[in-house]
Amino acid sequence: MRARLTSAVVLSAVLAAVPVILGAHPSTDARDALSEAEGQAAAPPVPPMDVHTLKNFLPIGPPDPLPKSAVPDLSGDWALDNRPGRGGIGQSMSAADPGGRLRGKEPDIPYQPWALEYTMRQTPPTGPDAGFERTTDPHIHTCEPLGLGRIYMYPAKTKFVQTPEAVYILHELGPAFRIVWLNAKHPADPDPNYWGHSVGWYENGDTLVVDTIGANDRSWLDQLGHPRTEKFHFVERYKRVDKETLELEMTIDDPGAYTKPWPGRRNFRISDTGFMRFAWVCSVRDNYEHYEKVGAKGNSGTTTFK
Amino acid sequence: MRTRLLLVAALAVAVASAGVLAHHGGNLYDTTKPVMLKGTITKFEWGTPHNQIFFDATSDKGEKQSWVGSTEPAPVMLERGWTRRSLGPGDAVTVYIFAAKNGATVGNIQRIVKADGTELTASGGGARAGGEGAAAPARP
Repeated sequence: MRARLTSAVVLSAVLAAVPVILGAHPSTDARDALSEAEGQAAAPPVPPMDVHTLKNFLPIGPPDPLPKSAVPDLSGDWALDNRPGRGGIGQSMSAADPGGRLRGKEPDIPYQPWALEYTMRQTPPTGPDAGFERTTDPHIHTCEPLGLGRIYMYPAKTKFVQTPEAVYILHELGPAFRIVWLNAKHPADPDPNYWGHSVGWYENGDTLVVDTIGANDRSWLDQLGHPRTEKFHFVERYKRVDKETLELEMTIDDPGAYTKPWPGRRNFRISDTGFMRFAWVCSVRDNYEHYEKVGAKGNSGTTTFK
Repeated sequence: MRTRLLLVAALAVAVASAGVLAHHGGNLYDTTKPVMLKGTITKFEWGTPHNQIFFDATSDKGEKQSWVGSTEPAPVMLERGWTRRSLGPGDAVTVYIFAAKNGATVGNIQRIVKADGTELTASGGGARAGGEGAAAPARP
């Protein structure tokens, strides 16, 4: 609002100054033009976002000064750890309810009322409340990119390529990649997109911290319909626990949808079966055909999507 | 003691499988007990979002039935030691499957044993995927 007022004042001043500079009183035409310009200036179509003024629950961006840390070795092909108790495969971002059995009643998701209502209005494609043939999931119907967080709700592998300037996170699901810029700051006005803008740094010699803003609101956070907004601030902490184990702690900091930050977790184990041996590409045709071949018959003959 | 261990193991399998089975309509299938079917593979579709395995089997009443079972997608089954050549038309198999509750001949594949004794595990962690502490394959 303040930015809008400032823009209006500046533009008005510039336009008002024109006739003064030219040594003449403003004509009727000029006054009309001024009024019109004032009207337009009062409502710029998209006020610029300044990340430094975002009121999130958690600080955004790297700490200043950056902590000194050795660079942990994140090399390897990382698969979600599906051993019992490791929380590897789950449909929900909720750390307390990765299987989605408590959808809408998770003890660790501090919904704003609209976010709860939105979540419960969705029909997930999977999980205990699944309704594949009538799902509202844009990923199933249009292969909308999975985006931040949700990429880890599927049992596909991830790889990290570490360079001095950036860490490249490669996902064989998609396939998709992200760039985590090291020793960098977020731009003041990032263009919202599925993967946002990420900066990162190392801590304690064993952890990569990734700080992301600039997400759009077009992807769910997980497979169960939990929303995110353009205020979404996502913090990921990848900790190399030992040669075969990588732990990921996620923090969802989105004052547009939730009343405080909340956690998500996934664990990875090293894999020796080869990265990208089978790229997991989303295909609408494959999604629909799978349902018609298998799910529809078990669903008493529903053979078409609604 | 042995019974208790078996119960615990069965529960672990159920819990470990829940996330997998929930995929795309796990509530449609009877996940309390796999059905055992002896039959012949007619088609093996290797891909995403799931593999589809088509096979013919004979019912208890002697009727020929055409079944379709699904597993997790190909990249996950690679982790469990499967390949796109693991099954092919004409293979004689014993299939353990969580079948549809409504009686349709579809379901979620749990395990397949080929005529030469080769076991293909589809549920839980599997040997390669799970390593130490992995859930044992579901057994009828």
